[in-house]
Amino acid sequence: MINPADSSTDFSAPSMNEGLAHVVAVEGNVVWLEPEQTGSCGGCAASGSCGAKGIGTMASRLEYRRFKIDNEANLFVGERVVIGIPDNALIKAAITAYAIPLATLLLAGALAQWRFGNDLATMAAMVTGLLVGLGFSRVGAGRLLTQGDLAPRFLRRARPGEVCNQP
Amino acid sequence: MKEYVLLMVSAALVNNVILARFLGLCSFMGVTTRVDAATGMGMATTFVITISSMADWAVQTFLLEPYSLGYLRTVTFILVIAAAVQFTEMTVKKVSPPLFQMLGIYLPLITTNCAVLGVALLLVEGRMSFISSTLFAFASSIGYSLVMVMFAGLRERLALVDVPRLFAGPPIGFIVASLLALAFMGFSGMSTS
Repeated sequence: MINPADSSTDFSAPSMNEGLAHVVAVEGNVVWLEPEQTGSCGGCAASGSCGAKGIGTMASRLEYRRFKIDNEANLFVGERVVIGIPDNALIKAAITAYAIPLATLLLAGALAQWRFGNDLATMAAMVTGLLVGLGFSRVGAGRLLTQGDLAPRFLRRARPGEVCNQP
Repeated sequence: MKEYVLLMVSAALVNNVILARFLGLCSFMGVTTRVDAATGMGMATTFVITISSMADWAVQTFLLEPYSLGYLRTVTFILVIAAAVQFTEMTVKKVSPPLFQMLGIYLPLITTNCAVLGVALLLVEGRMSFISSTLFAFASSIGYSLVMVMFAGLRERLALVDVPRLFAGPPIGFIVASLLALAFMGFSGMSTS
């Protein structure tokens, strides 16, 4: 029996996490892109009827998430494109944004509980630990940005009707 | 110390949020198509559950209990969770705008994640101290993240195999999820002696 994975999967290719965006402005050699809203199902084209966008959150307002890339592909306003970030970038970003502050928060809380054994002191220590962790996150994010790990890359123009996670 | 370890093991494995309590199933099925996406969602949810449970404990202890406002608990906790998500969004945006652009997609999904509210209500029922409730919330969300990443890994492998057409897509996903739940039932017989 032939395993379809043997013939159709190229494991040597660099793996990218893909997403869809459309061009909202062109400024010289730079284009501004707005990511398409994805629901939990990843069905961008059906986003109009999706109820899982969040209620009143900043990230649910797409204009807050606009970003720019170099216009090497001569893109025009209104075009849909596929953008990508390296697979590991998302995990590195999540560790920087969430795991570091959480680790310092818990560490500070554990130390305060061991030292004072009081709920209020533990609470104050956790808030302090969170703030310190956010400072570390800022430094880590700056380092990732310098290395270029957080920059989305243009992959190709989207096919008509293309949605996320489509093979 | 031992009681904290037992509390965390119980929250993460024995009473797993997804596979034992059946909370957060929408993100469990929806955001587990790729391991990295599941990891990002898991970490964001862990952060929000821990922060919001701390705030919920404070609201419960210093406001709802002393003034006998227990009937407002669910509504208040929903507000606290929404505020925690907003706080996380604003903080990540302030710390690093590129990080916000990359991770922002997961935050709106957390607002509508019932696991966050479920954990907050469970820790109130447990009448725990502040440190215990924080560790319970943290361990519960670690259990959530663990199952998300495991299931995403399984689904990535499933995408490569020749599944009969009748079962392709969500049906085989549900079958795998049920097998995973059965496997986690094995933790329920654990003994400390």
